Amino acid sequence: MTNHKVIIDKDKCIGCKLCYKACFVDVIRWDEEENKPIAAYQEDCVHCTYCEALCPKECIDVVIDFESERLYQSFDRYR
Amino acid sequence: MTKLNIEEKRISTDVVIVGGGIAGLTAAVRIKELNSDIDILIIEKNTTGYSGKANRGGGVLQYFDFNRCTPEQFVGYHAHNVGAFLGDQELLYKYVSMNNEMIEKLVNWGVKVPYDEDGNLKVIPTGPMTGMIGVDLDITLQVRKTAAKFGVKIVDKTVMSDILTNNGEAVGVVGYDLIDGTFSIIKAKSVILATGSQNYKIMPMWNGRGDGIAAAYRAGAEMRNAEFGNFAQQYKAKSHHDMVFSENVMYNSLGENITKNFRRFPEADVSSKAVSEWYKQMSAGKGPVYIHPDEYEVTAHGDALFTTPYVWNRPYGIKIWKKIYGKAAEKDGDCKEVVMCFVGEQSPVKVGHDMQTTIPGLYAVGDISYSGSASPGAVPAPPGRNRGSGILNAVFNGLIAAESSLDRVSKKDESAIDDDQVMLLKERTYAPLLKSDGIDAEEIMEDIREAVGPVENSVYMSQHRIDIGLRKVEKTKNKLENLKAQDYHDLCNCHEAQAMVLSAEMQFRAASMRKESRGWFLREDYPETDNRNWLKYIIVKNNEGKMDFSTENVPIEKYPVKPLFK
Repeated sequence: MTNHKVIIDKDKCIGCKLCYKACFVDVIRWDEEENKPIAAYQEDCVHCTYCEALCPKECIDVVIDFESERLYQSFDRYR
Repeated sequence: MTKLNIEEKRISTDVVIVGGGIAGLTAAVRIKELNSDIDILIIEKNTTGYSGKANRGGGVLQYFDFNRCTPEQFVGYHAHNVGAFLGDQELLYKYVSMNNEMIEKLVNWGVKVPYDEDGNLKVIPTGPMTGMIGVDLDITLQVRKTAAKFGVKIVDKTVMSDILTNNGEAVGVVGYDLIDGTFSIIKAKSVILATGSQNYKIMPMWNGRGDGIAAAYRAGAEMRNAEFGNFAQQYKAKSHHDMVFSENVMYNSLGENITKNFRRFPEADVSSKAVSEWYKQMSAGKGPVYIHPDEYEVTAHGDALFTTPYVWNRPYGIKIWKKIYGKAAEKDGDCKEVVMCFVGEQSPVKVGHDMQTTIPGLYAVGDISYSGSASPGAVPAPPGRNRGSGILNAVFNGLIAAESSLDRVSKKDESAIDDDQVMLLKERTYAPLLKSDGIDAEEIMEDIREAVGPVENSVYMSQHRIDIGLRKVEKTKNKLENLKAQDYHDLCNCHEAQAMVLSAEMQFRAASMRKESRGWFLREDYPETDNRNWLKYIIVKNNEGKMDFSTENVPIEKYPVKPLFK
């Protein structure tokens, strides 16, 4: 289980939905009432950073917790 | 099902395509080009045009300059050096021959391919016979726009959970809406699976989760070359950022060049021998392993391909790559330590030259059937030893499937759907949501990753280590009936976890059978290639819930290139 964070500044968001469409792992959901994104399933983020790069108002920051990603190798430093 | 009160909707179409990546979109657009009257529906788990792998990698198309090499020469080179005589040479020949046509198609469909002032493609050579062309990362999005113009219907956020069959033929699919859970029953004369490979959600960005493979297996489709689902590559130790070309400059902690132990001159492609070398160095206490990027031109300036416009101007991609490379570089600093990690890329759905699976009416294109098509031989799905072939293989498959699928649609009357089967599949689909108590999908996935992840279990194998992996998978398989989902996102995770268990079991059991080393496939206990006994494909099939294995001879006698030695 990773611990990456998708931080969204909703005040700057113009509701274009690009981040929601670009998220290919269903981390970002859309709040239809508020017309704003929700970082609903951050534990599944794979830090492709499409949401951050495509946002026309630069209101998303993907904060990667590299230490929370396992490499599954048999040597202590890469478990 | 009363407990869940699931809404249902029924849809009828000529062709249903599952997966909105480049393979599925190619098939859709090509069918419409050939006959605009055909009804086509694409269903996609997330968003068509943003999903898939073509827009998440390096954006590279393999290029063959036919003034420098003929398709025959490349097939000969490939059989000897890459596919290790396990490849379908006829299919590979066709793929190579169609190179210019495929690139032209992509350009016509709005994909941005770089040309110089004289109108020539900007090609970078990658080997004696191949080159690569950068393509901007909005490739899939451009083809989605083209598909929409042609009148292809696209339904996003819909997860396919199973394939409907009647009298042994595919007659549609069932699935559910990821947002509100609505159950879809989609009737079609032709079903095209374009759902990608199995990557076990283990390394970031490699997104195939194998759920299409699992659905095809459950429906009774045969699998081939499942043991080649063991792609691995080099990652930066701190940022876990994929490394390209850096196997050419590997050093152990004693400062010894270890690339020399497995390679005589720099190569473009990833090799399982680099994985085994890393493992041997680590096991001998000579780790960690570092790279010296300055010693090789491509690794010294490799980032420039992605983060600057000077080689290929790809503005959409540069915007994204700058973020990715920037965040990785911030983490890595001056650290040059690298790790070999397992990725997966299992792509075993068996298809013929028409891209039809062993179930009539069911086609499989792109990374779901790369190894299953046998076209590449003894290597995992792209980029396994054939850089830039991933996108074009998907396009190649899509173009062929369009023609064969169209042929079927024009000859076929509508088939009835078996409502009893629909009811059973609906129960299977939603079962994890009915559990009040149980285990999470993540627990299953973590077990599987611990089994397949260590490269000595899955890439540099031995019988002992394969058995360790398999025992872990069997133990996890017993937990599957307790899978519990809290919502539809979680339900999708449960289905992916089920698919991972299936893929890992096929991987280990098939790997256990193949008692030799061939191409990418390396066994410490059987280091030699055994052409006398193992010019064979391993076939896996679901026989009423039992995983059956058999072998099929590679028809080497009809191919132009044959091994020199037994």
